[in-house]
Amino acid sequence: MSEPPDHIPSQGARRRRSPTRARALLPLLSFVFVLGLWCAVATSGVVREIIFPAPWSVWSATVEMWRNGTLQKDLAASLSRAAVGYGLGAALGVAMGVLSGRIAPVRVLLGPFLSLLRPIPAIALVPVAIVWFGIGEGAKYFVVSYTVFLTVWFNTHQGMAYVPQVWLRAARSLGASRLRELCTVVLPAAAPHILAGLRLGVALAFLSLVAAELSGASSGLGFRLQEARQYVRTDRMFALLIILGLLGALADQAVAWLGRKLVHWERA
Amino acid sequence: MPTGRVRIENLTLRHDGDAGCIDALTGCSLTLAPGSFTALVGPSGCGKSSLVSAIAGFLAPVDGHITLDGRRITGPSPEVGVIFQQYALFPWFTALNNVRYGLRQFALPRHEERARAQAALAEVGLEADADKYPEQLSGGMQQRVAIARTFATDPRVLLMDEPFGALDAQTRAQMQDLLLDVWHKHRATVLLVTHDVDEALRLADDVHVMSRGPGRLIRHYALSQPRPRTLSHSGDALLQVRDEIFALLRQQIDRPADLST
Repeated sequence: MSEPPDHIPSQGARRRRSPTRARALLPLLSFVFVLGLWCAVATSGVVREIIFPAPWSVWSATVEMWRNGTLQKDLAASLSRAAVGYGLGAALGVAMGVLSGRIAPVRVLLGPFLSLLRPIPAIALVPVAIVWFGIGEGAKYFVVSYTVFLTVWFNTHQGMAYVPQVWLRAARSLGASRLRELCTVVLPAAAPHILAGLRLGVALAFLSLVAAELSGASSGLGFRLQEARQYVRTDRMFALLIILGLLGALADQAVAWLGRKLVHWERA
Repeated sequence: MPTGRVRIENLTLRHDGDAGCIDALTGCSLTLAPGSFTALVGPSGCGKSSLVSAIAGFLAPVDGHITLDGRRITGPSPEVGVIFQQYALFPWFTALNNVRYGLRQFALPRHEERARAQAALAEVGLEADADKYPEQLSGGMQQRVAIARTFATDPRVLLMDEPFGALDAQTRAQMQDLLLDVWHKHRATVLLVTHDVDEALRLADDVHVMSRGPGRLIRHYALSQPRPRTLSHSGDALLQVRDEIFALLRQQIDRPADLST
């Protein structure tokens, strides 16, 4: 009889302190500080504008891209690729993780692939994707969803092993069927791990999306970045990088928020 | 005619330990009469928990078999309720929904399922805490929810593995009284595994003492004193049994586990 961990995570007291005002202002303060430093460096003239553009140049580049409509188009293209790829990869990843984590023959069969495929960087897949799908949307969907899929699969798979045995036993002796046990015990118990995977997946989705768009695309933030390099528009490059950072942070926070809502019994 | 007769015949259970397979229990035979309350005491590693796992259907025997009312136990079933030391409540469900979990199998109308769960919580004095989540309840309250959840389905057999081991002494005494109370109403056949000799003596009709390495039943005491029992007021008979059990357990601790058999 193998003995999965028998402990029940986080039976501890609720620790949901609402952040104080000062705490909420702290990140804002650090932004102001960095922006101030950036302005100071830009006005001092130590670094050439073409290497490291000033904040106001980056701002006007952003406005320029918005005015001529490329920014909206790129945002739409990139976000839809990220969303489709992420949704596909996450759904498949959870399903696969449940299968390989819960069913012994599947685990034996696929386990080695999980450890073999995981170290391959997403960027290395781009050439293969282009051969398979051309430079259309298919290649981007593939690269993004594959990257997300692997991470979510891995984390879900791991999470399955951490479902405390005592919950499974309780469910079975209370007359739950396998399916009911899966939906009401296994998935909620593994939810913290699955959500950790989904959150990692968000970061990786943006990473692989830009990698795919950098080589072979006609729209998207990654494509625009590449184009800006050709015209040595460092101001645009910076604008695009900041937008990518903001989008990634926002998406990450959204998934984290959703996670807190869904896994309400785990302390935040 | 109450049912819930558990017959354990020549049971051998095995463990996958670090040093390969170890017999947790060998040649154990025991019958639990319908509606009886049996306690198992013994040193740690004597296979008490393995025996509970086997009756619950979590652990398949290597040899021998267990029957419930003549039918062989082959896996977990709602006929055999289990109360675990770690409470095993689902933290994503409220107390009420934890109790409803076991009632789902009966496919009752929603309001009836709710009402039965409410009644079960009322039996353990938690009707006011129905909508709380386990983490909002103390250890004793969590275990009361677990008791309500198990009794709500009216199992024929109730297995308890160190159910109050994690509770402080005062709460434990309250829980023992509560358990007797609920058990009197439901009259399931109870098997209680405990390391607390006084607990066994306070609650059970039959107390079995086990030896370890591999586990065996070595002594049986039938207790007829009326419940609730207070050890200091139950006379010399119970105290004498207590002394004997302690002596037996002390021998167990002094004797190294015999792993060769």
